[in-house]
Amino acid sequence: MNRDEIYAKLTEIFKENLDLDEIELTDTTTADDVEGWDSLAHIGLIAAIEQEFGFRFAMKEVVNLHNVGEMVDLILQKIG
Amino acid sequence: MLFSSTVFLFLFLPIVCALYLLVRKELKDYVLLLASIFFYAWGEPRYVAVMLLTIIINYVGAILISKYKCKKLLLLLTILGDLSFLFYFKYFNFFVENINALFDGHIDFIKVIMPIGISFYTFQAISYVVDVYREEVEPQKNIHKLALYITLFPQLVAGPIVKYHDVADQIENRTVDFEKVAYGVKRFIVGLAKKVLIANTLGAVADKVFTQPIDQLDCVTTWLGAICYTFQIYYDFSGYSDMAIGLGSIFGFKFLENFTYPYISKSISEYWRRWHISMGSWFRDYLFLPLQRALSLSKTYGKLSHRLGRRKINILLTAVALLVTWFLIGFWHGAGWSFVVYGLYNGFFIFLEIITGWNRDRKSFAGRAMQHFYTMFVVILGFVIFRSDTMNYAWHYLLTMFGAERGETMYHLIYYVDRIEIIALIVGAICSAPLCSKMLEVEGRSQLRIAAVNLWLLALFILSAASIAASTYNPFIYFRF
Repeated sequence: MNRDEIYAKLTEIFKENLDLDEIELTDTTTADDVEGWDSLAHIGLIAAIEQEFGFRFAMKEVVNLHNVGEMVDLILQKIG
Repeated sequence: MLFSSTVFLFLFLPIVCALYLLVRKELKDYVLLLASIFFYAWGEPRYVAVMLLTIIINYVGAILISKYKCKKLLLLLTILGDLSFLFYFKYFNFFVENINALFDGHIDFIKVIMPIGISFYTFQAISYVVDVYREEVEPQKNIHKLALYITLFPQLVAGPIVKYHDVADQIENRTVDFEKVAYGVKRFIVGLAKKVLIANTLGAVADKVFTQPIDQLDCVTTWLGAICYTFQIYYDFSGYSDMAIGLGSIFGFKFLENFTYPYISKSISEYWRRWHISMGSWFRDYLFLPLQRALSLSKTYGKLSHRLGRRKINILLTAVALLVTWFLIGFWHGAGWSFVVYGLYNGFFIFLEIITGWNRDRKSFAGRAMQHFYTMFVVILGFVIFRSDTMNYAWHYLLTMFGAERGETMYHLIYYVDRIEIIALIVGAICSAPLCSKMLEVEGRSQLRIAAVNLWLLALFILSAASIAASTYNPFIYFRF
């Protein structure tokens, strides 16, 4: 799976979890840029991503994510 | 030994600094370790053993965790060991008291004095083993280095609660240079002045009010007491943290900030990211987030998620995690119900902010002013609960503040405050905003400006020293915890 494919999947997960019709994710997108991405929605997002890609984040990985780009890097590393 | 005592300022600190700077690099750790143990033993000779035992348990625990497969079990055992000391010394009698009251029992209290700083160094020890467990750091092979991390006297008795992963590199390798020493001395003086000139002055007012029987206080006096206490505790504790960070800098350590102007916050969530940051982030990293995550991975979460819908289940889950975390944050402050109530009270407002989004940034001035007003209101009322010896006293104090009760005042307001104390309150209020936050910066500043700041600090130091010499014993509030 490459970055574009991961982005496509992530976009679907975000749309579904945050009840958004349109969303554009980029490497520098952070929670502040996306409406409805608060700490509550974050729990569900992480759970949905783990389910979709079939792995578990470690505690320190969850804590240290700063933007969508880092999240994609981490997913690549996990499934690669 | 208090930072704001003559023994510390004019004997201990100069001697330790001189030794530290003079000895060879390999010996610096030992100088600092021995100084720290001496510092602790000065007030608490009997309990040095407890602290040393904690060090040994965590030293061995971490090495075992990194070697064997049953990591989780070993981690739990080590943490259990750490917490059992804390429980015995800090909470045992509290439980006895409550069990006796509930079941009309007669279990005897144990005769025990709480070892100073135990709440702080226990948390540092836990931070170390959890960091090793999470593979964020390597286990420390040299026991004296781990001992240095736990006992380091600048932060030993009242924080900041330094996390192991933040200083792991500095423990192995740090340099001492003139700039760090200069910054440390200046930072220490700022802290000393905050404690001695403002906190102690306002503390005298708060003490006078809060030691009155509740039926002798009226509305104005109770607000005066609550506001003075709000500024006293900020200057007391942030002043202490400044001194700790300054001392750390003298010995080449860079501790994270513990206070970043909490009273400018626009929500309680923000407030707790600015107040006693090292404790809040400890609870966040080692309790709240892991708990929230463990709950979200449980089977029940999946089941309920379908039944209730995503948002509701996440609210429920966060509520549970907040409840547990804030109950324990309150309890960490002291073995008493008013501390528990204080914790839950803060957790309640944070929960409200999370679900309503009230803490989001407002654009309009009025909106931000409202948020600020709400925050300080909640903070001040919270400190009434915090300061009161019993919940009963806190309750009647709050009723008096809102005019629902009114005592027979024996004294005029003049009895509670004099001119100096009013000045301290005004200066305190102004300086709790980041107006001179860049005062200590030297880079890019003119020589004249640096000299002026240094002169000002020298004046503050002389004033503080004079005040210490003239005053009676004045411990820090957070030494109790």
